[in-house]
Amino acid sequence: MFSTESTTRDLHKALETDVEAALNPTEADGVFRDSRECAALLLLAGALLLSPPTPRPKKG
Amino acid sequence: MKQLSGAIHDLASEVVSVLRDGGHRSVAGTGTAQGDEAVLRVAAARALGADVLLPTTLLRHPPEEPVLALVREAMRAYPPGPDASSATVWSHWAMERTVLRLTSVDGVADGSGGRPAGVPPTAQPDVSDLESAPWQRLTHQLAVLGALAVPGADSAVAELAGRRSLDVSRGFVRAVRRRDWLQAAGAGRWLAAVDGAPGSLGLDAGLDFVLHMGGADPRVALHARAALWMRAAAGGEGVPPS
Repeated sequence: MFSTESTTRDLHKALETDVEAALNPTEADGVFRDSRECAALLLLAGALLLSPPTPRPKKG
Repeated sequence: MKQLSGAIHDLASEVVSVLRDGGHRSVAGTGTAQGDEAVLRVAAARALGADVLLPTTLLRHPPEEPVLALVREAMRAYPPGPDASSATVWSHWAMERTVLRLTSVDGVADGSGGRPAGVPPTAQPDVSDLESAPWQRLTHQLAVLGALAVPGADSAVAELAGRRSLDVSRGFVRAVRRRDWLQAAGAGRWLAAVDGAPGSLGLDAGLDFVLHMGGADPRVALHARAALWMRAAAGGEGVPPS
């Protein structure tokens, strides 16, 4: 019984810091979709797709 | 922290469920937890703050004693310390204020938002650090204090949010662009509470989008549904969105 109460008390103590952190969070990092980066990636992908095939040595 | 996050999500999900259904039922499971689970639930209630009582506040149901007991226990177990952050102090003030409003003589919310008779007034915490905060930080802090954004809010934070609603609108857009759904939902809730969104913002569509994108997080859903409820009520529909 004493052990259970002690464990519960320890948990409460540990939660005090967590509760304070939950009540005062820092701002989350944003996840941006930069349209210029997206356009550049799209152009690069397009250029790669449209580029002529790599020259291969002729057989024989 | 992981344990607490789970408990907060569970409790927030229960509140969202009651808000979504709009029915007259309690935040399920309140008062039935034992041991460590009960300790976690009290901590989660402290983290969620006055929003544990949000269905009672919005739907104007009489407060239920097990829910009130949970909130009172959370206030007792986690009082703001001398070096507590401003957000912690405001959150505690809001819980105290909400319990007082909901436990007036007739047991239902006081429509005027007034303090029940015989209850001494409590001084509001300081808000001066938000007065001069840049709009980005203002929006972040207001989103953290989203539980104070309720119909008829008369706190100094609500007054500030109303006065700087254009800044909050900019913050709402920024949060959506950053895909910070929790902050976006909190900012949108404030704009709904103070009726301060410019028409060009498209707040209703924005809130729907935030709910769609971030609604899997029950804390986001809680803020977004509260905001949509307030928008619907202010528009004369008077019913929460389903």
